[in-house]
Amino acid sequence: MNQSRLTHLISTLPLKVRPKHRKFGNIEGLFGRLKMLRKTVTALVRYERIELNRFRADEARPYAERLISEALRYGDTHQPTMKLANFWLEDQSLIPKLFKVLSPRYQEWPAGLPYTRMLRAPSSASPDGSYESYERTVIELRGNPYPPLPGPVNTSVNPGLIHNVLLEEARKDYYNSQSKITQQAEQEINALPEIDNAHIDNVDDPVQIEEAQEVVTTTPMTKG
Amino acid sequence: MSFVKRLTLLSTQHLRRENLPLLIKGNERYFGFCPALLQRFVEPDRENVANIKRKQIEEQNKVLEIQRKSELDNAKAQVSTSDVSVPVIKSEKTGYNELEESFSPFRYVYPEFLPDPKLEWRNRIREKMERIDMLKRRSNIEIPEFYVGTIMKVSVSDKYAIGKTNEFLGICIERGGCGLRAFFTLRNVIDGQGVEIRYEMYNPIIQSIQVIRLEKRLDECLRYLRDCPLEYSTFPMNMQPELKNPDALVPINTTLVRIKPKPWTVKWHLLDYRGIENLYDQISEKWEYKRWAAARICKGSDSNEFDLMKIYRETIPADEQTQIFSEISPELAKLTQTLKKQKRKRTFTKPQKSV
Repeated sequence: MNQSRLTHLISTLPLKVRPKHRKFGNIEGLFGRLKMLRKTVTALVRYERIELNRFRADEARPYAERLISEALRYGDTHQPTMKLANFWLEDQSLIPKLFKVLSPRYQEWPAGLPYTRMLRAPSSASPDGSYESYERTVIELRGNPYPPLPGPVNTSVNPGLIHNVLLEEARKDYYNSQSKITQQAEQEINALPEIDNAHIDNVDDPVQIEEAQEVVTTTPMTKG
Repeated sequence: MSFVKRLTLLSTQHLRRENLPLLIKGNERYFGFCPALLQRFVEPDRENVANIKRKQIEEQNKVLEIQRKSELDNAKAQVSTSDVSVPVIKSEKTGYNELEESFSPFRYVYPEFLPDPKLEWRNRIREKMERIDMLKRRSNIEIPEFYVGTIMKVSVSDKYAIGKTNEFLGICIERGGCGLRAFFTLRNVIDGQGVEIRYEMYNPIIQSIQVIRLEKRLDECLRYLRDCPLEYSTFPMNMQPELKNPDALVPINTTLVRIKPKPWTVKWHLLDYRGIENLYDQISEKWEYKRWAAARICKGSDSNEFDLMKIYRETIPADEQTQIFSEISPELAKLTQTLKKQKRKRTFTKPQKSV
């Protein structure tokens, strides 16, 4: 009952998948939601870089990635994938693009790197300043021919936090240790004979102490 | 409420005359005031749209292709044709696919080793520990390969029974659970009373699980047998195991079951069952028909087939499956050997009371 489905063999998505889907309040229900996301996916495949609202892009992104991964896994001649492509790409002329252009592009793709990329875009100002739905995002297929977009902005790490301070110091120590001069210095230090500075004469061994006492009593101080 | 008023509540996109073919006229009676349902039964005529836009898109694609081709691509092409002596480095993917192919049938025989795909409940450490415990249990008792529809005999230790064991034979109605919570239910009819017993596979109370007849049915869940005549669920308790060729494919029993007239315990017509013969003969009223059509849309085959993320959330990905099964397969191979040895060696000695 609650066992995993065995009918499909699918590749892992390198994305963080939310446990539940977003409903978008579609009057047609589940199928209406799919039709809405289908438009986004076809636009992505056609234009390779689109700007839209945040949640719609976030929902459509894993669908696009899944579609590409299915095309990669099963290829052109597999009947169910052809049906999938026919459903998800509203334009029939994009189906060959998926299999002939995008598939070879993502064939030897580094593992763990998603096929798409999502970036925040300048959003329209809302009166409250709190409308999440007005947040614009740009979603693009990696390897597209357009000039590259600058990466995410304002994701710098807070250097004042204590763990960042300690990490920074540790990093500095590591890099300093890697330089040749420090390595030579370490070698020289290791080569020196061992001097136990903590050891005080005639203190640790009890026998020696007694001898010292005896010595003290027998030799009185004399002045010339 | 008037027809027009109903329409104004919902979007008017579906109601454009151009979009509706003549086919609908027959069904208008049922779907006339629910355009959402109507739209689903209409396949939008996309061909004309594609024909009109195709040229534009082809041009766009051409432009993209030209831009895509960089100098490096040209260089690659040249190298591949000229240097034949360069060894072809196979991508890791081909090797990975072979591993996957070799372990993919495991998921049908050992489905309880795969964890529950629900993201909130995933815990890799707990799953790994469970697998270890499952293998330990499997080294004590032979849990055979079975499917929904197989006839099985289970003997359980019961302190109140004569001989301290309790045996039950029945057809496996359902199977589920992950890890040590894996279960299956057997159904049989005893003295004209239908009886179903749910057994937990890894419960140490179970003494033996024996497969009498290994076969599959058309459905993954046979709970509809409750609303069928009792002949379909009766199996004699003294059935002997039918030995079959272990290398052969598991046969699929395609018998169609006739369901009793309503009332039923569950609305079987709203669920997708292929093993019932006269299910839709029972639907007579208009509201039943509409409800059935609506259920087909809401939970229907299209969203199951095409909703890629729904499928993803309900399945364990193939790489994880191969990882899990490659971990346990050497242990399982050892188990079969040890169990065979135990069978040959087993001699029962009655414990003697010491004075």
